Amino acid sequence: MTSARDRILGKLRAAQKPFDELPPAPPKRYMSRPEDLSAEGLRARFVQEVKKLSCIPIEHADAESAIEYILGVIGEDSSVITWDFEQIPLTGLETALNDRGIQRGQPRDDKVRVGITGAVAAFASTGSLMMTSGAGKPRIASLLPPVHIAVIHGNQILPDFDTWIEQKRAEGIGSFNRPANNFLITGSSRTSDIAMESVLGVHGPGEVHVVILV
Amino acid sequence: MKVDANNFVSVAQIAVNDPDLQEAVSLGTYNGYSKRLVAMFSNGHEHGEAMRQQAAAMRRRAIQKLPDLLELAEKNMTANGIKVLWAETAEDVRNMVLDIAKKRNAKLVAKSKSMISEEVALNHAFEENGIEVVETDLGEYIIQLNKETPSHIVMPVMHRTKREIRDLFMRELNMPFTDDAAEMTAFIRKHLRQVFVNADIGISGGNFIIAESGSLCLVTNEGNGRMVTAMPKVHIGIVGIEKVIETIEDYATLTQILPRSATGQQMTVYMQMINGPRREDEPDGPDEVYVILVDNGRSKVYATKYAEALTCIRCGACLNACPVYQVTGGHAYGWVYSGPIGAVITPALTGLENATPLPQASSLCGKCKQVCPVDIDIPRMLLDLRHELVEKGMTDKIFDVGLKAWSIGNRSPKLFIMGGAVARFGTRFLPNRLPGPLGGWTKYRDFPQFAPKPFRELWKERKKGKPS
Ligand code: SF4
Repeated sequence: MTSARDRILGKLRAAQKPFDELPPAPPKRYMSRPEDLSAEGLRARFVQEVKKLSCIPIEHADAESAIEYILGVIGEDSSVITWDFEQIPLTGLETALNDRGIQRGQPRDDKVRVGITGAVAAFASTGSLMMTSGAGKPRIASLLPPVHIAVIHGNQILPDFDTWIEQKRAEGIGSFNRPANNFLITGSSRTSDIAMESVLGVHGPGEVHVVILV
Repeated sequence: MKVDANNFVSVAQIAVNDPDLQEAVSLGTYNGYSKRLVAMFSNGHEHGEAMRQQAAAMRRRAIQKLPDLLELAEKNMTANGIKVLWAETAEDVRNMVLDIAKKRNAKLVAKSKSMISEEVALNHAFEENGIEVVETDLGEYIIQLNKETPSHIVMPVMHRTKREIRDLFMRELNMPFTDDAAEMTAFIRKHLRQVFVNADIGISGGNFIIAESGSLCLVTNEGNGRMVTAMPKVHIGIVGIEKVIETIEDYATLTQILPRSATGQQMTVYMQMINGPRREDEPDGPDEVYVILVDNGRSKVYATKYAEALTCIRCGACLNACPVYQVTGGHAYGWVYSGPIGAVITPALTGLENATPLPQASSLCGKCKQVCPVDIDIPRMLLDLRHELVEKGMTDKIFDVGLKAWSIGNRSPKLFIMGGAVARFGTRFLPNRLPGPLGGWTKYRDFPQFAPKPFRELWKERKKGKPS
């Protein structure tokens, strides 16, 4: 007895191949690749794109002021959901939270208001954050709390998604599909299902802060 | 979902005479159409066109190599820890999903938007088996609450006005009165939170499968797609066999063109590449991931001159651009897929005899091909389907709708070539008729004029308490 799989593949193979005379692939085009590829140029473009997405980019020259900013967003809250601190490129964050008596909440606790994460890369062309799942990096931290603070270092900003893929290709495909989940975050959770009106914060965070250390 | 495309004319007649639907659909299609234009051609016209050709060539190559890519995708997904199942029919899909649900003793299922699950009538199967299933995309949730079907492949509830949705929430969920879409959304957000936390199984569709890496790609704006693939212990992705692409670079190309065509965004908010269940060292994610590869007629279409329709990336741009869709909305098309691409897919997948009016439901103005991010020649396929109707002697049913009315449509060449996004203005000066062959329906009915003031203006006045 043949399986459903073999019958489906058999039917496809028995058919005359569609598009038998395809022209050669056209050269790759990029929709909005930044012109200025210097570190400053990429950072400026990234900041500009993040703003366009109604998110809040903040550049900080030192860790203290970045931590101060984050504490300001947390306000009076007694707990936050965070990645493990060694995954967030901001030394002193753990101590600062401890000093304030701010606990690390349970990842599935939907009462917690703020989630703090890092990112594996950021893309200047679209203002996107590249995330991969992994040890110490709960996916929920950038999803369940209504406020997401992502901390990145300025040198993590790449021109675009294609550049990141080039890096993965150089490392081997295993580096791409080793994590259970790779995902891009571009802006805050949004919908326009009700009469085309743009509303932020449907299921994911409606408020996204990107702290950029320079 | 039952195919009900042969009633196209009568359902369209109702739609044309429904002022709420006219208000909602003209707002929705106009919005989608204009946002797409801005996003696609922000780097200049020539560049946008080049992107389309690149995407078109890539999708065609993928469909040409479909059986090989499917095998590669299966091998790599399996190596990634994904359980791959093959379903020949809609019934196979329902049985497979129910089997998994029973094995896991599931009581609650959370779903993110998936057209293919509508195609195989999955929700119905759950309900029959006493398993609660909740749609979590806001639009789909509204559809489920109102016990209707989606009318657009990207904006499922495009046919409803804000007033109608507000009244529905008040009636069904005791929502306090509000006219604010943000407040309505916040109310539903709260309502659905516990569904994500408590669901035993998450179900999603899949926008693409990357063969070389064995990744299931899922693109959502609201975040529900991430929720249903991260919170429940089991994730099932249901995907048509035509969705496979070859490389990660191909996915990058599609991430540039799909959001721009669908919603006018540079990128959709969340673009996932799912490589399998939670890895041992990862703190969250499902323990089990299934991907069901669905044929349900696609391998049959593969061998026909309609194979080109399999390259569709379901962006909805051709719906928004279609002068017929703009006045009928999606329900008249009688199945999951509406608009120009639906007029090809429904007869191709379910049989021409089940959808004889659809090939005629077009003025052949060519807008659908022009806006399609993968340059699908929909007008060519509609003509081929019309030839088939004639060859198979199925023309009598359409004669009245199509051929006779054709002459009426031709008398109004302006409406005929106009992407009806501007129909709002046009209808004030033109006879009360639908464009093209659909003129047949309006023979006895007046085609309502579009509101002289756009919805947004009326709405602003309403908010200020001025009479509208
Ligand atoms: S046919 Fe083209 S325009 Fe229409 S939904 Fe498919 S990809 Fe989009």
